[in-house]
Amino acid sequence: MNRRQKTILIMLLAALLLAGAVVSGLTLGDERVVTNLDARNASPSLEHPFGTDHLGRDMLGRTLKGLTVSIGVGIIAAAASTAIALAMGMLAATMGKAADAAISWLIDLFLGVPHLVALILISFTLGGGMKGVVVGIALTHWPSLARIIRAEVMQLRSAEYVQVSRRLGKSRWWIASRHILPHLAPQLFIGFVLLFPHAILHEAAISFLGFGLSPHQPAIGIILSESMRYLTSGMWWLAFFPGISLLVIVRAFDTLGENLRLLTDPRSARQ
Amino acid sequence: MSLVTFILKKLLRMASLLIALCVLSFWLASCSPLDPVQAYVGADMTRVSSEQREMIAEYWGVNKPPLERFFHWSSAVMHGDFGTSMIFRRPVAEVIGERFTASLALMSTAWLLSGALGFALGAVAGMKQGTWIDRLIKWYCLTLASTPAFWLGLLLVMVFAVWLGWFPVGLGVPAGKLAEDVTIANRLYHLILPALTLSILGVANVALHTRQKLADVLASDYILFARARGEKGLRLFWRHGLRNVALPAVTIQFASISELIGGTVLAEQIFSYPGLGQAAVQAGLRSDVPLLLGIVICSAHFVFVGNLAADIIYRVVDPRIRKGESA
Amino acid sequence: MLTKWYTGPSVWILAIALLLAAGCTPDKNPGTGAEAGKKQDELILAIGYEPEDGFDPTTGWGRYGSPLFQSTILKRDKDLKIVNDLATGYEVSDDGLVWTVKLRDDVKFSDGQPLTAADVVYTYETASKSGSVVDLGILKSVEAVDPFTVKFTLNHPQSTFVNILVATGIVPKRAHGEDYAKKPIGSGPYKLVQWDAGQQLIVEANPEYYGPKSVFTKLTFLFLKEDAAFAAAKAGEVDMAFVLPNVARQEVPGMHLVTVNSVDNRGILFPVVKAGGATKEGAPIGNDVTADIAIRKAINIAIDRKKLVEGIFEGFGTPAYSVADGMPWWNPETVIEDADLDQAKNILAEAGWQDTDGDGILEKGSLKAEFTLIYQADDQSRQSLAIAVADMIKPLGINIKVEGGSWDDIARSMHSQAVLFGWGSYDPLEMYNLYSSKTAGIGWYNTGFYANPAVDEYMEKALKATTEEEALGYWKKAQWDGKTGFGAKGDAPWAWLVNRQHLYLVRDGLDIGTPKIQPHGHGWPITDNIVEWSWKE
Repeated sequence: MNRRQKTILIMLLAALLLAGAVVSGLTLGDERVVTNLDARNASPSLEHPFGTDHLGRDMLGRTLKGLTVSIGVGIIAAAASTAIALAMGMLAATMGKAADAAISWLIDLFLGVPHLVALILISFTLGGGMKGVVVGIALTHWPSLARIIRAEVMQLRSAEYVQVSRRLGKSRWWIASRHILPHLAPQLFIGFVLLFPHAILHEAAISFLGFGLSPHQPAIGIILSESMRYLTSGMWWLAFFPGISLLVIVRAFDTLGENLRLLTDPRSARQ
Repeated sequence: MSLVTFILKKLLRMASLLIALCVLSFWLASCSPLDPVQAYVGADMTRVSSEQREMIAEYWGVNKPPLERFFHWSSAVMHGDFGTSMIFRRPVAEVIGERFTASLALMSTAWLLSGALGFALGAVAGMKQGTWIDRLIKWYCLTLASTPAFWLGLLLVMVFAVWLGWFPVGLGVPAGKLAEDVTIANRLYHLILPALTLSILGVANVALHTRQKLADVLASDYILFARARGEKGLRLFWRHGLRNVALPAVTIQFASISELIGGTVLAEQIFSYPGLGQAAVQAGLRSDVPLLLGIVICSAHFVFVGNLAADIIYRVVDPRIRKGESA
Repeated sequence: MLTKWYTGPSVWILAIALLLAAGCTPDKNPGTGAEAGKKQDELILAIGYEPEDGFDPTTGWGRYGSPLFQSTILKRDKDLKIVNDLATGYEVSDDGLVWTVKLRDDVKFSDGQPLTAADVVYTYETASKSGSVVDLGILKSVEAVDPFTVKFTLNHPQSTFVNILVATGIVPKRAHGEDYAKKPIGSGPYKLVQWDAGQQLIVEANPEYYGPKSVFTKLTFLFLKEDAAFAAAKAGEVDMAFVLPNVARQEVPGMHLVTVNSVDNRGILFPVVKAGGATKEGAPIGNDVTADIAIRKAINIAIDRKKLVEGIFEGFGTPAYSVADGMPWWNPETVIEDADLDQAKNILAEAGWQDTDGDGILEKGSLKAEFTLIYQADDQSRQSLAIAVADMIKPLGINIKVEGGSWDDIARSMHSQAVLFGWGSYDPLEMYNLYSSKTAGIGWYNTGFYANPAVDEYMEKALKATTEEEALGYWKKAQWDGKTGFGAKGDAPWAWLVNRQHLYLVRDGLDIGTPKIQPHGHGWPITDNIVEWSWKE
């Protein structure tokens, strides 16, 4: 199986995984996660494959709902971050030296604060809640992709056909939309696919720390931070299953992104 | 450009970034709709009347315009005065100093450990490229890169602290021990699990990087030449591989300090380790603006210094690497 | 050349290693053994959070009882009766405005200096100016009549002023400086020896203390959270630890569980007026659904309080029916039969609530039986209560949307949404604050804008009463006088849920006497009867 086939297979698998989690999370009725004080702290069984929590709620249901939330946040934040990266990369590459220097300085600025610390600050600024998390992740994850886009655009601009178009008197906008953007599309897509798992991980981390969603809502980070209180009582299923579900999704998209990148990377052609 | 001017330029850039960071983070903090007075009174509201809330507000100076507060704050920061933490009721600089020492012990242990381990793994994988061991290491590193740090910490606690009972569940020192009785051994004992969590995760980056670098080096002409001379295995690695991949590994370690801090925030939360990360979370959750700003600036310093170190090392070794690659 | 290249990083590594070493400098004096219980007259306790403000009564220390380092003018005995501490007696003028307190003449601070009326005057004047969490708005003036007589003048009569005399530790005027909160000097049973912020507090018996002496001459308080305190108890490192219900059933060798009843309660406040108004700050007032008394009564009757205690507090609690269960001013008639879904449904049906569109939620005209219940997000037991109550009420056809928030969020929506609050105090003034029409919309008090003229009248009478007995009668009537009141039988502006029990793991052999009913807040008040503590043998 060559890389192309492998990548397509992974893409299918990842898409299936994602769709499965989201569809089941959205269609799952509330009765699945309703409290049942008579069935508290039950270990995994056929009825509750992931066990139940301290209020007797089904952990499989909560995990699926949590994943849906995480995936939603991940997609929005990664898309926003990709858009920022595109804008910044284009500006840096086309608006002259000063803009390039300014954006490189800005990138350094954003890379200067550890992501989690920046997320805490932004979440605080927006008064917590979901929007704090989305905005925070969108604002912190663009720099590396912006660098790649800048390099790509620089390269495209010096390509012959772009030079020709310019000499023919085509406008900047025309060149950008006809020549540059179409060539950037694969890069953008890969950038997005690679940003997505990062965004989910950071969403989980920041809600684990207590920022973001309200603690009764089923986000993976919240479920895991709740499970911490029950560690000493040996209720391993509270942390184990939600965490591994998150890991599987993140890993699938990481692999997908990595394979896509290698497919388009000329350096790896020899492999 | 000499090294000195290079460093001076870098320092200048760092200074400009820091100033911008101060302005930006102060602006962000002052935009928050959260009311620090509310945070101060908090859950202990059983006996607080509304007139008293006004007085507390006045005491914290929250009624002044933001610009005035910024100039007041920034001039104080210039003098090293970060204000008073609302949670700890102590000078922020003091809190940060104390917490930073604890975090530094944790971070540097993890930094060294993950660096050494990651380098070793990367070197093995690179030397044995294409074999099952290389694939195993690569798979392991890629999986780690997708693992939520806090989840790994929870698993370690469950296995080593709860099931096996080898390590304590949390805290920087033994519960119930007086400060003067806490020994280095005690501290190290409590450091192991959080440091392990961070190290296990930190391995991935440096290992993958080293593997790639080593693969590139091994594919180069002079290694082919050396192989042709009959050198192989450890000897080949020792004589030609090591020097070419060790410094990039160190560079990558310095450049990854930002991620290390992120991991530390999570690890400290799980192991209730009284470090800077825990303070950052508390400051954020309880609207302790002075402390939060102090931590943002402090962690940025740390990252910038790490990046500067990486840049300097890279520059110092740059010619050699180029020589190695093109020779 | 090669060596030169390598100096860079190794210098860095060395520097970091040095810093690392500096971080864990060994202590020079490997002091006394820390094993708990080794010495018969010493105790190591992990029973409370660190009072981050320090130990200054003028800024709030000790207001839940047991200032430890200071003593108060009056105190409550274990039956919660008010008795003398620093006072030898007090008188209230007929108009209730002037309180005259006679002090003991033999009291000394831990530094050997005598305690006089000047110190009392100084304490109260400082506290009322401090801008901290001590509320002395009622106090007009305080003056020393002679060295051992103090005269308090109030703005208006208030029988509950006596609780301020119970809750305020007296500080020495001469020695109340900047760092008093860190190094308190007082006339209480113990004096501070060492306070390691974030870690521990070490105290020793105060030789100057005038009251009965404890057998324990040295106490070490460790500032651990409940789960860490539990771990320390398991490791045998403490003589006493406060723990949470979820671990309290676990066996810990050498320790036994002591449960202490409390008025540390949790309940749901309902806005009782219709929507439409707004506060000065623009926060909306009122909620059309909870303004309907049928909804409030049905919820009160439908909730299975025993199940909440069992399911969320592992049985370590009692059902709550009022804000002051078990206190002298509590009216036992506030107790109702609950967990009765059928009766609750009847009440709703009689009031005209019907499920007309078949979605499982009742309607009355265009109004849907639906409201939001907001709770403090970082308190897990409150969250559990809110979720469990919402699920319990759902079969009635009332949809409660649960929402977590910071105190800030709660403050914005507490006049228009149901809120899960926790109260519980040794002071009946709390009752007044929660239910009087005069406190409607003020701070955290009566956020639901409850008003009942009959209740107001009883409570005003209780405040103006000059004897405690008289006041108690009026407090009880305000809750339920047979016809009306703010209890669940009356207007039901609250649905009280549970009183938590405070749980302590105590070393076998240590007798902690009979603690009083504990107020809101887990921990420090338990040391209140420390003179009764001893080793059984």
